[in-house]
Amino acid sequence: MTTSAILQAINGTSLAALLFLVASGFTVTFGLMRVVNMAYGAYYLLGGYVGLSIVQATGSFALGIVGGGVAIVILGYVVDRFLIRYTGENHLAQVLLTVGIAFVIGDVALKIWGGDSLKVPVPVALRGAMELPGGLVYPTYRFVMIVFSLAVAGTLWLLYTRTQIGAVVRAGVDDREQVSATGINVDRLFVVVSALASFLVGMAGVVGGAFLTLYPGAEWEILIVALVVVIVGGLGSLGGAMVGALVVGWLDAYGRWLLPEFSYFVLFGPMAVLLLFRPRGIAGKEA
Amino acid sequence: MTPGRLAAAAVVLVAAVLLPQVAGPFWMGLVTQMIVFGLLALSVDLLLGHAGLFSICHGSFFAVAAYTTAILQVRHAVPTALAAPAGLVAGTLLGLVFGLAVRTRGVYFILITIAFGYVVWGMAHRWSSFTGGDNGVTNVPFPAVGGLRITSDTEYYYLALVVAGLVALGYRRLIRSPFGLALRGIKGSESRMRTLGYDSNRHLYAAFVLSAALASLAGVLYVYANRFVNPVAASFPVSVEAALMAIVGGTGTIVGPFIGSAIILGLRNWVSSFFELYAAVMGGVFIVAVLWVPEGLVGLAARLRGRAPHA
Repeated sequence: MTTSAILQAINGTSLAALLFLVASGFTVTFGLMRVVNMAYGAYYLLGGYVGLSIVQATGSFALGIVGGGVAIVILGYVVDRFLIRYTGENHLAQVLLTVGIAFVIGDVALKIWGGDSLKVPVPVALRGAMELPGGLVYPTYRFVMIVFSLAVAGTLWLLYTRTQIGAVVRAGVDDREQVSATGINVDRLFVVVSALASFLVGMAGVVGGAFLTLYPGAEWEILIVALVVVIVGGLGSLGGAMVGALVVGWLDAYGRWLLPEFSYFVLFGPMAVLLLFRPRGIAGKEA
Repeated sequence: MTPGRLAAAAVVLVAAVLLPQVAGPFWMGLVTQMIVFGLLALSVDLLLGHAGLFSICHGSFFAVAAYTTAILQVRHAVPTALAAPAGLVAGTLLGLVFGLAVRTRGVYFILITIAFGYVVWGMAHRWSSFTGGDNGVTNVPFPAVGGLRITSDTEYYYLALVVAGLVALGYRRLIRSPFGLALRGIKGSESRMRTLGYDSNRHLYAAFVLSAALASLAGVLYVYANRFVNPVAASFPVSVEAALMAIVGGTGTIVGPFIGSAIILGLRNWVSSFFELYAAVMGGVFIVAVLWVPEGLVGLAARLRGRAPHA
């Protein structure tokens, strides 16, 4: 029982690690550009599929991760530049538009990669299980993924809090017009931040595809859970996304384990209650 | 109503009544679906077009009503006279709970309703001992009340038509009532309505619950038309497509959502008969509707005639 409980905690943490990769980009692009991009789930899935094909062709997992990320950077730029920008700050239009984009991406991906569950092959070195202190046995890959995501999160955090571009982004989240007035090229900033967010979500597809598998419909499942992370954490907050990812990862792991039939309720119920009393999430500010 | 509109309404009515004379059972089934989803789109539009709230959880009320009716009727042999109202009540009760979302606005409202919608979908999908899982509840009979029973798709079409007609008349009264005008006022400027002494949250909550009740009615009609219900009814695409139908047809009108429903379902039916990527085509419709026809076809027609649309 205790062993299972600890294993579920690690399971939850590994899901949290993946969710953070998806949610961090979503939340920062919302904070900065006020764009609700419902195509993020489809970005995740497509990034995973592209990465999968690259891994199959070259045998290199690292190349797959980079390739999945780069593919989504390009797609994300085209979508931002030619479609989303025409919605202004109308969230309703953004939601419908990006849902439409997600439908298109999902359907085309279905046509190319088929309807079966596909698993991105994990490098040989990361296959199998490892023994953790206390005699627990856990899949190596998922453990490495947690470490990898922590490294990414740490890097993002340093970038966000210790560099000039991070300072500009934080300022932009708080007051975009003011930043623009100081002579900073906000449009270029948007492109850079959006590219980074796209890269993260495309990469997440490859990383996640190696243990959650890739299949039609996965785009909505991951999107909704990532949305919960972002809502719980507070839209626009990177720190909130970290906390939110952990909360959601654990709730999901324990929910699936203890109440399998009501696992969605375990996940969304507390979120709904939280929102009713603190509509802007844990770390959210007044918009 | 102007004489022109009255004449147009009369022509539509006669055409609707005579339609089964020329169309076969397949087409009658499709047209019934158009009416059912038109009602769902109309319920979404009560919030979207009149109160300015964009809800993406109306598939929940629709599905809960459909499931309740189906489970009572199929598993417990409850007669339609009780099962159908029970579905309506169940969906509306859920609306009383989800309506708490009106405490938020804008993007938060959108995201919260998406999450609410997923709770219901997740229950339908996972709680298989009660909902039947992905198979759902099948073998729902045609409705029968006392000695009156529906025996064919054509008869059911007439029933749906009558219900839709009654709803349209009631809806028209509602949106022209002081309550409906207050909703429009809130959509236009919430701070102004508050200054005038209106409790906007209470108005929006009432609108939300009414809208959930209408979505539930559509759900009950749906389950008898389809003869089964599965988690797809509660899924995100159903909720978001209902909003798309309202927008394509024209928000803030009564005919708009029905026109939108007819276009979307008709297009899907047509495209899927010869093109495999029809979901991508539907995605394309979302994109085109948002970027180029945001005021919908009713609004577009009004603009072409050179005047603003009105309800």
